[in-house]
Amino acid sequence: MMRFFSSPHLHGGNRSQKIMLLVIIAALPGILTQLYWFGYGTLFNIIWATLLGLLMEAGVLLLRRRPVGFFLKDGSVVVTTLLLALALPPMSPWWLVTTATLFAVIFGKHIYGGLGNNPFNPAMLGYAICLISFPVSMTVWTAAGQYLNLADQWLWFWTEQGQIDAITQATPLDVIKHLSGSTIGEMWSANPDVVAYKAAMLWINIAYLVGGIALLFLRVFTWHAPVAMLAGLAVMAFLFGAGEPDLYASASDHLFLGATMLGAFFIITDPVSSATSRNGKLIFGAGIGILTYIIRTWGNYPDAVAFAVLLMNLAAPLIDQYTRPKAYGQQS
Amino acid sequence: MIQLYNFPGGIHPPENKELSNPGQLVTLPLPEELIIPLGQHIGAPSEAVVKKGDKVSKGQLIAKAIGPRSADLHAPTSGMIADVSDQQVAHASGLKETCIRLQADGKDTWHADITPADPEQLSDEEVRQRMAAGGIIGMGGAGFPSNAKLATDKPIHTLLLNGVECEPYISADDTIMQVDSDGIVKGTRLLMRLLGQVKCIIAIEDNKPKAIATMQAATADEAAIEVVVIPTKYPSGGEKQLIQNLTGKQVPKGGIPADLGILCVNVATVNAIHDAVYLGRPSIDRITTVTGKGVNKPGNYRILVGTKVDFILDQCEIHANANKVLLGGPMMGFQLPSTQVPLVKTSNCLLIPGVDEFPAADTAMACIRCGQCEVVCPAQLLPQELFWLAKSDAFDKIEQYNLMDCIECGACAYVCPSQIPLVQHYRYAKGVIRHKAQEAKQAEHAKLRFEAREQRLIDEKNAKEERRKARAAAAAAAQAAKRANQADGEDPIAAAKARVEAKKQAANTPATDTKAEPSHKELKTAAAIARTKLKKAQKAFADAVATDHPDTDKLQATVNELTQRSAAAAEALANFESQLGVDPEAIKAAQVEWAKANAKVRKLTKLAPEDDATEAVHKEYQQTLATAEKDLQQAESHLQSLKNPTEESS
Repeated sequence: MMRFFSSPHLHGGNRSQKIMLLVIIAALPGILTQLYWFGYGTLFNIIWATLLGLLMEAGVLLLRRRPVGFFLKDGSVVVTTLLLALALPPMSPWWLVTTATLFAVIFGKHIYGGLGNNPFNPAMLGYAICLISFPVSMTVWTAAGQYLNLADQWLWFWTEQGQIDAITQATPLDVIKHLSGSTIGEMWSANPDVVAYKAAMLWINIAYLVGGIALLFLRVFTWHAPVAMLAGLAVMAFLFGAGEPDLYASASDHLFLGATMLGAFFIITDPVSSATSRNGKLIFGAGIGILTYIIRTWGNYPDAVAFAVLLMNLAAPLIDQYTRPKAYGQQS
Repeated sequence: MIQLYNFPGGIHPPENKELSNPGQLVTLPLPEELIIPLGQHIGAPSEAVVKKGDKVSKGQLIAKAIGPRSADLHAPTSGMIADVSDQQVAHASGLKETCIRLQADGKDTWHADITPADPEQLSDEEVRQRMAAGGIIGMGGAGFPSNAKLATDKPIHTLLLNGVECEPYISADDTIMQVDSDGIVKGTRLLMRLLGQVKCIIAIEDNKPKAIATMQAATADEAAIEVVVIPTKYPSGGEKQLIQNLTGKQVPKGGIPADLGILCVNVATVNAIHDAVYLGRPSIDRITTVTGKGVNKPGNYRILVGTKVDFILDQCEIHANANKVLLGGPMMGFQLPSTQVPLVKTSNCLLIPGVDEFPAADTAMACIRCGQCEVVCPAQLLPQELFWLAKSDAFDKIEQYNLMDCIECGACAYVCPSQIPLVQHYRYAKGVIRHKAQEAKQAEHAKLRFEAREQRLIDEKNAKEERRKARAAAAAAAQAAKRANQADGEDPIAAAKARVEAKKQAANTPATDTKAEPSHKELKTAAAIARTKLKKAQKAFADAVATDHPDTDKLQATVNELTQRSAAAAEALANFESQLGVDPEAIKAAQVEWAKANAKVRKLTKLAPEDDATEAVHKEYQQTLATAEKDLQQAESHLQSLKNPTEESS
């Protein structure tokens, strides 16, 4: 029996797995920089989240009676858990990573029907749920460059016991948020740890920016959403911060602190949960940038990318509705 | 040089054009049998004018165009008509279609009427006639009759010759531009003459340097003809994409290039126009690329229309392990379900891939809405949204997303990282939508016809009532006049006496006499009743005989009696009808007429033109339909008047 195929009979050879692999490779500079400044914790996060993620995906696929090997092969769960692990603080204990992964993979993705059907970015959903539920654990960071050795990190990961001195709970964004009467400049000089931390975050953000630009040139995604997000964030920071640099963080601080670059190039470019058309992506990205600034500046949480992404995920279908491009022949 | 504007989207698949040696034309030997489908063009199938056993010579008319978007067909070689029958044709679903089968006699003798002419000596009308007689249709694949295209009433300022040939593997147009540039230029001049003041652009993709050089040399002296080289990008040869690339304008939705003052013709078609006008030779052959790693002798072949794919594959030495044959290129061609089908005027490529040339697609994975399809879509659609909508059968919504503007170029599926057969999903949705539209149109039409009939019946009834009233009034008037006469000249008492006398007489006369002659209807009923009774009795008798019932004799008598009665009733009816002038033969003939008219209307309703057809086509269709319906009404009333002359005259 001859098999019949519909045209086209040629295929360009692009594969979803290839896209996922490119994303992982492009994240490597960021991962390595993060490891360099904050130690083995991030590595533990990645390994544990990925293992759990694969297991959970396989389990859910079995429950849903789907071919396990076929779907695991698409590599999407690895990208989800990797991004989640990078977003979690390096001092996360095992149960925090487990909870975040559970919500990302099962509640973020499979509840909605698996890959391609999730309305929210799964990694950000897992992250946000942990941030709301365990705000203390979610803000434990080692001071930049003073991380635990491998054995101590191992101990910390499983038991949360260890050298407490090296641990800080104040990130630069926290510091800016809790000025309590002093200026930003005064806060920097009062907290040398935070200044070192700020330098570390700058490097990490630059590393993610480099990886993101590589993906842009490899045409894994278009420039619209990342550029719109960075522009939205920068414009907001400039509007509010230019007049009062003592009270508001500068645009460059906003661009190179926290999860800005990771978010712009690796999180909001998730095609499944973002707006579809190019114009839609501009609105989607700009919305995330503006919301990130608003939540960082006036909200209760130090970093805001996760919430901004989730909120704009909700708005994506509506954006799609109003940004449908004009088809050929409809332009007058 | 004219400015290029590019067009959105597009892809760069491997071209593989060298495989078929563009520029080298090979003529295939004469096949023994040719199968010429009657429906090669976009409009209604042509009507065969030959029958089994007819001897025909090369170029002789064998089927005539029916309607404006149809085209004549001619014998591709000399021989004998084997038959006119349904044969499988080149269609993705293996459909059958009426075809003329021609047994070649091997002599290949041209028909005597085929004579060259010098167009300089011909009037425009004569040129058009020679073109129409050539049965030329768009050879780039659309199959639109060329003289219908030229007959546009919109002002044309640019003649656009499409020599782009963007589809990978195919080099048929490349070849014809290299070997027949003279014919193309002469044909172009003819078209420019018919169109009036127009300039001409010959567009060629930059991957055909030889064709570009040849055409540039051939048009060096022509001020109004310009060869424009466009960058290679699939699907730059799509009519709409080409126009956007060259003018920056888009053909309006639902419109045609003529709306922009552009007439777009394929280069091979122009060459065929040259052959028809200059040489008198109709469109009976074409250049087809036979290529792919599944044949030993890929190349460009001059192939007679109607040549079977099997014959070509033999000549080109297909590999034993080749497992599929595509008609068309790798991007838009379809897999032939059978190789026993003929090539037609629009077949530009046979692609026989080697075993590993087009690896089967992996199982489609989930759509991750990566948007790569959107980037390459030349129609500026959202392929990923269309896919979701098609998958969930949201047909109303998918039309809002302009599914019908999809040109099925396949660029989206080519880049899809999840290997989703997107075009297949779109074809499915389009099919459902067309089917629904057709159904709605038919329902609407049936409603109109029903309403028209109801109105006609009411009108007839009213007219009858009017006539009755008129007659009654006339009778009353006559009566009054009579009375007035009587009142004038006679004694009222005598008159009253006479009336009483008349009444008495009437009372004495036997009832049978007063009863009026039985009406036509009553006679009919009586005859029918008698027939039914007879049938019943016959059946009872037969049953009785079968069961050896004692009453058979009695039943036999009843049957005999009823037979007589029935015959008498039939005779009475026949007598009456012959007096009235009812002619059973005439009724039969009228019934046949009515059935014909009815069939015609039904056929026409099915042949409604597509929505995207031009207004002229719609208008013409509406007129044809209206005429057919009028004929049907006349046939019906004629039939009724024959059947019931009494009612008509009463």
